[in-house]
Parts: sequence; C-alpha cells; structure tokens
Amino acid sequence: MTVKIILKVNHRCQPAVPPLRTCADMSADAVFCSSTVDYRGKVPVQHLDYGYIEKCKDVKYMEKILKVLRSGDEGIYPHLTTFCESHLEKLHPRSPALRKDNEVATAASLSKDEWSQIVDELKTWQEETKKTETSLKQQRVFDDLPKENIPPIRGSNCSIALSETSNANEKRSSSTCPLPRDYREWDKFDVERECEKIDGNVVKNDPPAIVTKRNPEIKTKVEAALLTQQEKLFLANREKDKGNEAFRAKDYEEAVVYYSRSLSIIATVAAYNNRAQAEIKLHHWHKAMSDCQSVLQLQPGNVKALLRRATVHKHTDHFQLAVEDLRTVLREEPQNAAATKLLSETEKLMEHPPVQHRKGKKILIKEVEEEHNSEDNEEKEAEAFLVEPSQPVGGEESSAAPAERGDMGNAQKKPHGRGDGGPHGNEAGNPHAAGHWRGKGGSADKYKVTPDSKEKVANGTNKRGSTASVQADQSSGGKGTPDGGSARETIDLDAPCGALPPPLSRLKNEGNLLFKNGQFSDALEKYSQAIQGYTDSAIDSPEDLCVLYSNRAACYLKDGNSQDCIQDCTRALELQPFSLKPLLRRAMAYESLERYRKAYADYKTVLQIDVGVPAAHDSVNRITRLLIEQDGAEWREKLPEIPLVPLSAQQHRREEPPSAEALQARAEKAARDAERKAEVRFTASKQDGNEFVKKGQYQDAMAKYSDCLKLKPEECAIYTNRALCYLKLERFTEAKQDCDAALKLEPNNKKAFYRRALANKGLKDYLACSSDLQEVLQQDPNVQEAEKELEEVTALLRQSLASDAQAKPRKTVPITEVEDDEEEGGATALPDSEGSGCRGEEVNINLHPTNAYEFGQSLNAARCGGNAAACADLLASTAPEALPQYLSSQLDGRTVGFIVQALDSHLLEKDPALVYRHLDHLHTTGRFSVVLMLLEKEERCRLTRLFERLSAVESTEFTRNDVQNLANKYI
Amino acid sequence: MSSPLSKPQIIAHIQKSLNYTIFDSKWIPCSAKFVSLGNFARGTGVMQIYEVQHGEAQLIKEVEKPKPIKCATFGATSLQQRHIATGDFDGNLNIWNLEVPEVPVYSVKAHKEIVNSIDGVGGLGIGDGAPEIVTGSRDGTVKLWDPRQRDSPVANMEPVEGETKRDCWTVAFGHAFNDQDRCVCAGYDNGDIKLFDLRNMSLRWETNIKNGVCCVEFDRKDINMNKLVATSLEGKFHVFDMRTQHPTKGFASVSEKAHKSTIWQVRHLPQNRDIFMTAGGAGNLHLWKYEYPAERSKKDSDDVDMGVAGSVNLLQNVTLSTQPIASLDWSPDKQGLCVCSGFDQTVRVLIVTKLNVV
Repeated sequence: MTVKIILKVNHRCQPAVPPLRTCADMSADAVFCSSTVDYRGKVPVQHLDYGYIEKCKDVKYMEKILKVLRSGDEGIYPHLTTFCESHLEKLHPRSPALRKDNEVATAASLSKDEWSQIVDELKTWQEETKKTETSLKQQRVFDDLPKENIPPIRGSNCSIALSETSNANEKRSSSTCPLPRDYREWDKFDVERECEKIDGNVVKNDPPAIVTKRNPEIKTKVEAALLTQQEKLFLANREKDKGNEAFRAKDYEEAVVYYSRSLSIIATVAAYNNRAQAEIKLHHWHKAMSDCQSVLQLQPGNVKALLRRATVHKHTDHFQLAVEDLRTVLREEPQNAAATKLLSETEKLMEHPPVQHRKGKKILIKEVEEEHNSEDNEEKEAEAFLVEPSQPVGGEESSAAPAERGDMGNAQKKPHGRGDGGPHGNEAGNPHAAGHWRGKGGSADKYKVTPDSKEKVANGTNKRGSTASVQADQSSGGKGTPDGGSARETIDLDAPCGALPPPLSRLKNEGNLLFKNGQFSDALEKYSQAIQGYTDSAIDSPEDLCVLYSNRAACYLKDGNSQDCIQDCTRALELQPFSLKPLLRRAMAYESLERYRKAYADYKTVLQIDVGVPAAHDSVNRITRLLIEQDGAEWREKLPEIPLVPLSAQQHRREEPPSAEALQARAEKAARDAERKAEVRFTASKQDGNEFVKKGQYQDAMAKYSDCLKLKPEECAIYTNRALCYLKLERFTEAKQDCDAALKLEPNNKKAFYRRALANKGLKDYLACSSDLQEVLQQDPNVQEAEKELEEVTALLRQSLASDAQAKPRKTVPITEVEDDEEEGGATALPDSEGSGCRGEEVNINLHPTNAYEFGQSLNAARCGGNAAACADLLASTAPEALPQYLSSQLDGRTVGFIVQALDSHLLEKDPALVYRHLDHLHTTGRFSVVLMLLEKEERCRLTRLFERLSAVESTEFTRNDVQNLANKYI
Repeated sequence: MSSPLSKPQIIAHIQKSLNYTIFDSKWIPCSAKFVSLGNFARGTGVMQIYEVQHGEAQLIKEVEKPKPIKCATFGATSLQQRHIATGDFDGNLNIWNLEVPEVPVYSVKAHKEIVNSIDGVGGLGIGDGAPEIVTGSRDGTVKLWDPRQRDSPVANMEPVEGETKRDCWTVAFGHAFNDQDRCVCAGYDNGDIKLFDLRNMSLRWETNIKNGVCCVEFDRKDINMNKLVATSLEGKFHVFDMRTQHPTKGFASVSEKAHKSTIWQVRHLPQNRDIFMTAGGAGNLHLWKYEYPAERSKKDSDDVDMGVAGSVNLLQNVTLSTQPIASLDWSPDKQGLCVCSGFDQTVRVLIVTKLNVV
C-alpha cells in the first residue's frame, strides 16, 4: 500500500512593488562627464544634436536619447536616429536598445543554394526517421517485457520525511506541529522519529543546507543490454553530447563520466577521442593514453587520437614517441597546425642536437652507469640481449630500487647479482645518450623511451653511492669521476626539467649535481629552494613537484634523516599516488626506523606496481622474517592496510617498456628453465611486438614478430600482426605473404583478409583487393573500414580499367575517418598542397639544380630554345618551396610568362597539384608584384587560362576556393 | 561584430492556420510528426497529429475530446510506445496511445481545476529512474504521478491549510541523473519558484522573482542540475546556475529583460544545453546563448562556495505574429527544427540554422 504523501508548502506573500529601476540606477551612473544629467526627467531638446551625441559617453543616457528620438515626440529625425544608433553601437555593441525586431526569415530570404541545402537535409532526415519509426514499431512486440531495471514506484518509505520537510521552512515552523494526519499514516507512525523530529526542530530552523557536492554519484555505466540498436545509438549519442556540453563548461570530470557512459552503451571512436581530450585536461595521462590506444585499435591512424597520444607522450616525457606520433599526423595532414606546433615544442624539449650530446651532463652520467653495467652486468646483459635483441629496456623508476637499497647501508646483504638489473635499466632509460653507447652496439638505437631527464641524474648518483658503499670494485671502472664530470656538467645546468621554469630547473639540476657528488646536504638545500620557488610561482605541474620531493627525500635518506624522508615521500605520493620511487624511499626510511610493518606495506605496494623490483622482493622477505620473529604467527593481522594499486598505475608500468628487472628475471628464468624458455620468449616477443605496434615502431615490431614465428610458426595472430607491420612499412608483398600464411592456418580470419586486401591495394591489384574486402564484409557486415575501403577500391578499379595508361602516382590513403562532431577542433585538417609531394624525379637534362645559379642556367637554356617541355621538366624536379629563392635575382615578365606557359602546356595535365604548389610559391618571389604589372597582354591571357583550367581540375590537394584565392593574387 | 549571415537564422518553414485555439504542440520523438492540442470554439478539446512532408504539414489524425487540452508531454514514455500525457481544463491527467487515441491508456482526475503545466521524466532514455509525470494546476498543487500507479499521485506538494492557494503555472523536472536523485521545479503566479527535492522529499530552495512565473525549464533533465531558466510575466527571464547552492544566498542568477511583453515559454535546444529560445507575448522569438563565467563558483567571506552567474547573449530575434506564442518545442531528433503555436490559431514549423557553429 502506498501512502498519499503531502508536502505542505507555504507561499511568501506578494512582495511590495519594487522601486523603479531608474531610481536605483541613477546613483551609480551619476558620474556623467559633461553636463548635468537628469535620468528621470525628459531629455532636453538641445541634447538631440549631432555634436552632443557624438561627445556623449554615457550609454544609459544615449539609450534614453535614442528612445526619445525613436518615439518621435520631439519630431522625426531619421538621420539623427541612425547616427545615434551607430554611436551607441560603438560605445556598447550589445546594448539592448539596439535590438531590433526582425521579421522572420522565409525561404525567399536565403540564397537558393542555402535553402536547397536545408531542404535536402530536412528531406533526408524525414526519410531516415520514417525508417527508424517503422523499425521501432516492429519492435513493439517486445513492449510487454517488464523492464527490471526500473526502480519501484515511489512509496511509503519516504512518507515521514515528506510531511516533515515543511519544518525546514523556517517561517512556518510554528504552525507545523499539529498537522492533521491521515488514519493510514498512523499505521506508519514512528514514535522515536517523531521525537527526534521535535527535538531537531530548533536546529532545523536553518534553511536546508544542501550544498552540492563537487561530483555527485553519476553512474558511469548505463544498462543498455535490453535496448534495441536504435535506442542504443540514440542514447550513446546523447550521453556524448552531454559530455561535450560539460566539456565546454570546463567541467572535465563530468565530461569524462558522460563519455564513459556513452562508451558503456556503444564504444565509438568519437567518444574515446573526446574522453582522451578530457583526461588530458585533467592531467590523467595514463587514462588518456589508454583511450587513445582504444581509438587507434578501432581505427588505426586516427589523426586526433595520434595527436592526443602525442600530447600525452609529451607530458609523460616520452618525447621520442610523441615526435613519432606527430610525424605520422603530419604525414597524413601536412598542414595540421596543432601538430606542427606540438612537434616543435616537443623537439625543443628533446634538446637532441648531437653537438650538445657530448656536453650534456646526462650523457656523462650515462657513461658512468654504462661503466657499471659493462663491469658487473656483462653476462646477464649479454644474455638479455641475446634473448631479446631489440627489447627496449627501461623504466627509470624501477631502476632506483637496487641502487637505493644499497644506499640504505642495510646490514642485511643479499647476493649482489640480484640487484644488477637496476643499473642496466637505468642506462636504458636514457635515450638521449643512446647514440653514444658504442659499448652497447646495435642495441643502443632501439631504445626509444625518453624518461624524465632529472630523475635519471638522481638515479645515477644513487647507484654510484650504493655501489661505493656496497662493493668498491664497481666504482673502479667509472671514467665518470665526480670532479671530471662536474666540470663538464655545469654547462648543462639549465637543461629544462618538465614544466619547471628555468630558474627552478636550474636549482634542481644543481641539486642533482650536488647529490651526485655526494654533497647531500647542499643538494638538499637546492631542492628545498626549488620546492619553495615552485610553491611561490604557483605552477601547476604535480609531476615536477613530486620529483622534487622525491629527490629531496633521497637526500634525507642519505643523511640518515628518515623522518623527513618519510614526510617528503608522503607528499610526493599525495601528488602522484603510486609512483614507485617515493614509495621505495619511504619503505627504506621506514625500514631504517625499524617500523617494519609500514615498510612492509610500502614494499608490497611497490611490488604491485612493478613485480620486477628485486630490492623490494628481498626486503619483503627479510621483513617478513623479522615480523614473524617479532609478532609471531599472526603477524599479518597487525599490518597496516596495503593499498590496492589501481590497474591504471600498473598499466602505466606496462606501457613503458618492461623494466630491466623484469627482463632480467625473464632472462634468468629462460636460462634455468630450458623447456619453458621458448614459451616465455614467444610471449615476451609477442608482447614487445604489440608494444612496438602501439608505439608505431613497425620495423622493430616486425622483427619481434619474426622472432615469434621462428619459435612458433603456427600462430595465426602473429602472421596477421606482422602483416600489419609490413603494411605500415609499405612492404606489400611480404604483407600479402603473411596474410596468405595466416589464412592457411585459419581460413576465416577476418583480419587477415582485410590486411591482404590492403596489401593488394598497395600492390595495385584492385581486383584481388575487392574480393578480399567482400570476403570480410561477408563474414561481418559491420566492418565499416572494410566498406569504406571497398568503395574506394571499386573506384580505383574502375579508374585503372578505364585509363590504365597514366594513373596519377598517388599514395594509398590509409583509413582515416575523422569524426566531425567533436568539440575542440584541435586538429583542423586543411587538405592542402604542402608535403606528401609525389613527383617522379625524372633525370633527363641537367634538371637537378642545387642552387640559384644552376637553376638560372637551366631556365635560360630552356627559354632561349623556347623549350617549354624542358622548362616543365625542370619545374617538375624543383621543389616549389625553393622556387622563389632560385628565381629571386632574375625574375622578369618574360620568365614568369615562360613559366606559366610551361605549367599550362605541359605540367597541368600531368600533375595539377604540383602546378598549384608552384603557383602558390611563385607569387612570394621578390619583386613579383612589380613583375606582374609588366606582363604583356598575351601573358595575362595565358595566366587567366591557366587558372581557369586549374580550377576545373578536381583534386584532393587543393579546392576550387584555394585556386580562386591564388588567382586573385595573380590577376 | 560578426556578419549577419554567420548568425543563426530563424526561418518560418511551414505555417498552418487552424480552426481552433492551440495551447500546446509537441514533436513525437523519433518521427517527423507533431501533435497539436487545443480547444474548439464550441468548448471541446482537440488533438491533432501532423506530419511534416514536402514542405507542408499534413494532417494525419484528429480526435475530439470532451475537455479542452492545455498541455502535453512525451517525457515519461518509452521510445517504442511514445504515449502522450496530457492535462486538460477539467484537471484530468490522461495518457494516450497515439495509434488508438480514442480511449486513454491511463486516466486520473488529478486536480480540481485546470492543469496548467505538465512534464515527464524517465522516458525516452532521458533521466534515470522511474518514469514519472508532474502536473501543476490552478488549484495550487503540484502532483507527481507514476503511470504504473492508478488513481493516486506518488507525491503531492500543496500549500498548507489556511494559506492562500497560488496558481501554479509551470512545472519542470530536473536533476534526474541517477535512480534516486530527482527534482521538480514549480513556478507560481506570485513569482515564487520552488525547487522540490524528490529524493529527500523536501523543499530544497525557493525564491521569488517578483512577477508571475510563466515557464521554468532546466537546461537538461538528466544531469546533475546545471542551469534553470525562469521566465516571467513582465518580460524578464532569469538564468540560475544550479551547480553551487549557497546556504543563504541560494543560486546565483543573471536576468535579462528582453521582451516587451510576457515571456510565455522557454525551451532549451536538446542538442546543446547552453542555447535556448524564449517566446514572447508580442509574437516574437528570441534565441539566446548562455556563456559560462571563467569560474563557476567562488568562496565568499565565510569560505563557503557560492555560484557565479554567467551572461546571456542574444543570437537572434524575430517577430512571428502579433499574438503571443504560447508553446514552443524543439525536435529532439533534428537539430534546429522546432514547432511553435500562438493564439493567432496558427501552428508554425521553424528551422533555425547554424546552431552547430554558435
């Protein structure tokens, strides 16, 4: 039984009529400049004057004048009125007085094109809705299915709260007590609650203090299993729209929630992309990364996703990867301004000119580390590289582990070999120096990870310290002696560190240097200054602050100040939860304070993040023993809670190339366990291959997959994966072979068919390609890429059949649909001329001028001979960008005429895009405008004709508008 | 200033004169059809279904009802059913199956007097939770209905005894972003705006905008309440930022006096919550965009969060007729398509262009 619920509401009385607005406003505006202004009174006639209005700066008064003028009470002065309006518009463009009633537009008030477009759109929409409507009607059979997820009818359970609420209304609280109650309500009467209510009355006099929480519990999932496809689409779209709106309102967290909801209904590229963008705004790099990966899985080569992934890479200091992504973007869209900008920024950050390499202090440290490696790691390392020749070893953070364990100076020693993974990984972590690792030989160039530069410094030092304290022999080989090093290193003290401004990064680098030299207390001071400076300058970069704290913690640890070390680590962890180094350092500090339980918890957390930290393993074992001694069998119960590391943090570990320790462990295992070796290597290689693919390093990935196939030649997935790599590398024959192999193993493999189709397309075997695609679509008609590709290929097929004579040399166009319904058009694609030029380089005459002189010679020769064809060839082999430079000295009317003639008569047919690009650059030549004036009539005609013909050409490289714009510059 | 052509244009696509007074017109979701409701001169009610086809509105169905129908909503029905809920002059709440509109699928005598306003939530995939309908009436009560429960409302918000009953002119749902949370906002003829929290069954907030509240609407029903627009008798409207509620100051708002006469209706664009259209008593339509401030909340002197209102920007305004525009409805499916009806016995289908670029 449900109870009738009544909420008593009282009304406020109608308030008194508010004072007239003008009175209230007057005082505020009474500071009018020139004359006495009476807002209430009439506007004096002398104010209705051009001169007065022109001088008047008071918007309110102007509006009043305008009102008088419009009313016509003082006579009708149309000119003065418009003058007054225009003046007011200058003062206050959004003045309400300027709003005019417009007549409603009709079809006639629009241009024909516009209107027909609207009508067409409407028509298609009508047809579409008709279809959806009929399909909706057909589904009505299932109507009667009760929907389980609908909450029950609002019922009795809330009754008491209801009648109560009027109490919250302060004014009525006196009269609320003796409410007449329904009989039925007595059944539900709850004495205790009623008492509470009465007691609580006094307190409840306050207005309802429901203050909205920042992010209320919005479910991130939508139960859509019962819905039909139409409804799902509808819902998914709406949730995405809500996300977009929240994004626009800068409520990024909410946006993420709504995108997630949309994705839980139907996973779309657009929603993933948008969520990635929102995550980027929130600085959730890892989540953004995984979203970008999802997009790229759904749609390889998606420009926006690449761009966003590049942004993430850049912020997580993986500059190399960022640059690769950006290059990919620029290959697709050479005009992409956002990508260009990001690329130049990233490159700046990378500071990779080779000259600096020698000087850079990082290199030095690198060398130091390398020395360590080559000494005590020889065997292991060699083994590791044998097993996985192109394995990216890295993970700067994990490397800190063994080193710092040593720092601790702990009594408990362990077999030294276990810790050796550290230096190894450390060195791998620094790609800047990659080129200098002659000792590493071939493996060096494969290191692609670019970790935080400053971290490394601290690492390196840690290790040095550790090695010194643990075993003297390690430091012996180092040519990076502190003094020698510091002399050179000071040069690079200003190396940028993340988002830190130069003075702070300098402080930090100095700190690193001091730390490295063993002057821990001085380093400590530097770091403290940097932290102070950071908080003063209000930079928003928690990563950097985290690193600073973490580094200072290392100093404290060295100085034996475990308390402060713990404090700093905790701060760092607040900024960046689950970052490895601070956790490790804190664990060590706890351990040294003999607070074993906490240390245990921290070590355990570290292991959750990365299982391959031997130091943590050892310490856990040791502490376990100690704790058992101390607490007996129930020692576990006394442990503090060990936080559960979210998957994202773990993933993050995985996203970075497997840590050195992991690799080491793998290698050891392989050596010990011969029978499992192949299996391990296979999965490792495969994983690595997949990693490389994700990063776009197809060459490396291909090598990995090839390794896999050596171990297990019957894995279908590997073949298709390798095919993908080949495709990306444009080695279509191999790709096709791989697909064939895959299809032999699994005759119905969709991916294989699809990739073979792409390979066939690359090989220009359109017939085979289309049959493959049809196969794909037969198996799964929902593969949109295949459908798209099929359309394209069919067109190409037709084209090649029709005119197999001279097909334009054009690259295959990878599938890139860019969803257009996204906000933030970060990546505006301008399909324009630049780049991706595909000119055949004919080598007939001296057509390869390398400087202005040679070019001039060739051009003159051609012109004297009246040989337009030669000129066309010359132009064809000249980069349009270089043209203005080559021509600058000798541009004259006849040259221009001749070039135009050559372009018109010879080049236009072959390659209109090139013509366009030449023209685009030609007019930037010096003196061009002057030369243009000197053109003869005949030449002008030719120029006009050229543009006419050019604009008739359909091209992907330029639009008719572009041509029109260009023509305006010439004619 | 931007050139006039880049502004959204409001185009009168179809105009149809009818032989009855139209009170409300609503698009049928997932179709190119709309329903128009009103009363014949002889005092009976009428419900008509039109389909937009080839640039005109074709009458598909017409049913006469005993009582004039004042308001309607599709908000609490599923996409498949698409039942329309109506309120009439006699205080009845009916739900009709448009395929068989002769007998209602749900009928209840909801109020003693005319149902001025109706709104639904939980249907059409808009708003989590149960489908519910809210009605506001001249008898001063606001009642909440669940179509699954016959005969009695699931909640009733009425003035306490002895208090003068105010005419409730408008009701709207909002805040329905999960199964539990839900709010109803009601506007009264004396300028009261009351926000009822249906989760806690309490009055969450109230204010007075000094003149009769003709229409209230949340920018979206199914999100954590974001903005509320309330229009008033004297031609002003108020936009409240509903994200931050200050314990004493309530919600921050911005108001704008735009029309020279009553603003009868406000409707947010379903595809973009920051764009809304107001319909005025002088037959004019104004299209607005809300601009968020740089920071939506700030701390007051006691370090309590308080909201900061943004600003509204007029995108376009047109005059359609000399009579008031009493109803306005955006198509939920086609951005920019809307139907409006006025007291000049005309129903109009409008196209608003360039909404995606503002």
